[in-house]
Amino acid sequence: MLRAICRGTLLIILALGLFAGNFTRYSYAHQFREIPNTTPSAAHWLGTDGLGRDLFTRVVYGTRVSLLLAPAAALLATILAAILGGLAGLRGGWLEKIILASADLSMSLPLLFVLIALRAFLPLDVSPVLSVVATFVTLGVLGWPSSLRVVWAAARNLRDSDHILLARALGCRQSQILVRQMIPCLRPVFLAQFWISIPVFILTEATLSMLGLGVMEPLPSWGNLLHGAEDFSAMAANPYRLVPLFVLVLTVICFQFVFSGSEELA
Amino acid sequence: MRLTRKVSRCIAAMAYWISKLAQKVLLLTALAIVGALLCATMVRFAPGYGVDERELDPRLSAASRNAIRNEYRLGGGLISYYRGYLSGLLHGNLGTSAFLQQPVARLLKERAPFTVRAVFLGLTTAWIAASVLSLLTIRWRTWVLEYSATAVTGLLIALPTAVVALLCLYLRVPVFLGIAVITLPKLFRYQHNILAQAHARPFVLAARARGVSSNRILFWHVIPAAWQPLVALLGVSASMAFGAAIPLEALSDSPGVGQLAWQAALNRDLPLLTSITLFVTLLTAGVNCLAGAIQERQP
Repeated sequence: MLRAICRGTLLIILALGLFAGNFTRYSYAHQFREIPNTTPSAAHWLGTDGLGRDLFTRVVYGTRVSLLLAPAAALLATILAAILGGLAGLRGGWLEKIILASADLSMSLPLLFVLIALRAFLPLDVSPVLSVVATFVTLGVLGWPSSLRVVWAAARNLRDSDHILLARALGCRQSQILVRQMIPCLRPVFLAQFWISIPVFILTEATLSMLGLGVMEPLPSWGNLLHGAEDFSAMAANPYRLVPLFVLVLTVICFQFVFSGSEELA
Repeated sequence: MRLTRKVSRCIAAMAYWISKLAQKVLLLTALAIVGALLCATMVRFAPGYGVDERELDPRLSAASRNAIRNEYRLGGGLISYYRGYLSGLLHGNLGTSAFLQQPVARLLKERAPFTVRAVFLGLTTAWIAASVLSLLTIRWRTWVLEYSATAVTGLLIALPTAVVALLCLYLRVPVFLGIAVITLPKLFRYQHNILAQAHARPFVLAARARGVSSNRILFWHVIPAAWQPLVALLGVSASMAFGAAIPLEALSDSPGVGQLAWQAALNRDLPLLTSITLFVTLLTAGVNCLAGAIQERQP
């Protein structure tokens, strides 16, 4: 029951992001300069921000950015983990040792330090769209090690399994074994890793953007909508500014509930 | 005869531990060299490298401009640049921060103790709290305790690190407690899973069938069985804690390495940023090596 509610909530939030243009008539960058920091009204459901932009519009478009690009980063991380983990698990030997050592090394690095270091290497005059792509590509490229361990363990177990031995004994080619036997067996593991990574990337993007190192203005994301939340008096004057945080937390909790089965599988 | 055997066994054990230690030191050295070369490469090929606004000053002579260019070692090739960078590192010269106009080594020396102390205290607090909570939930398996612990940690996990940092700032909580709050939920989940797995093993069932008390099962059977993966968590938790230090120090304006890294990133101070990343990486790798060594000591 709870899982169904969470699934429904996630679908609503996803629809809100996908069809953002149908829910609001304003542009996320349009400024109503005469009414900055206004409280909620019929025209502006959540009020406006310091630059007079409609907050509801920005939340809705921010949902699109956060909720579409986090899965893209998760997909990239899962593909990298699948290729490297699969190779390590199936081939074994020195390749396995090198891949596992590099994964261990990457896991021991504090992700946020590496992320902000890599992010800072971009030129200063990047466009907002490029900043989004760079943020999520960096997340995807750095997010593979924890998934790799799981994929590697599953692939290694599979390599020693009876049906793969039988396929080999029957004279199946390596490519046939890989495509017809192994990938279908490993698919649930890939999917589990993909779903688990999404909330992690949503949260990391939020932290990066809150620190001013993620998605650049005027493009909204849940993280950069919370940028400036340290101004507690402004927050107290208009608590609706915390709506992006509420949506973010709700989404992550829903992900946790819906995909808790995947976590156990992983 | 028996004494000789004992001595030889002792020497063999010592040789084993020395070789293990040498391996770890070698690994850390290799990591430091590779990390330093990577940092040097990133700084060298980053957009805008070698461009100094002082060169635009019309009052400067050609010799002064050349001197500024030489500061970046633009005259030599890549190999000489790497050589210069590595020899500087060996002599404790990590370069100069373009943003703060101070030697990076001095900045790190000033800031590192604050962050290391906060991380140490935060991790200790988080470990104690997570251990107590997970032991309680394993010992008394009531749904109220289980669900409330899961709900609280689930909510904390669902909050971005920067938001927890803001909450800590709002509540005027010291940085180390913020680090503890950020690492606690993840630590609790890992510890709880490890202990639950150990608790579900057949020898625990056998001990229970023989009438061994729950406390004795927990402290004499479950914890020793879960000890190795718990120690492995030490390295992971250090990495988490250092990551948590950035938003906490940045938002609460604490003078630590996290805040320095954030300022360096915002001001694109690449020599400072890469040196900080290298320093933190070596620190976490050191903690990981220590955790590995403790794990290997277990029977």
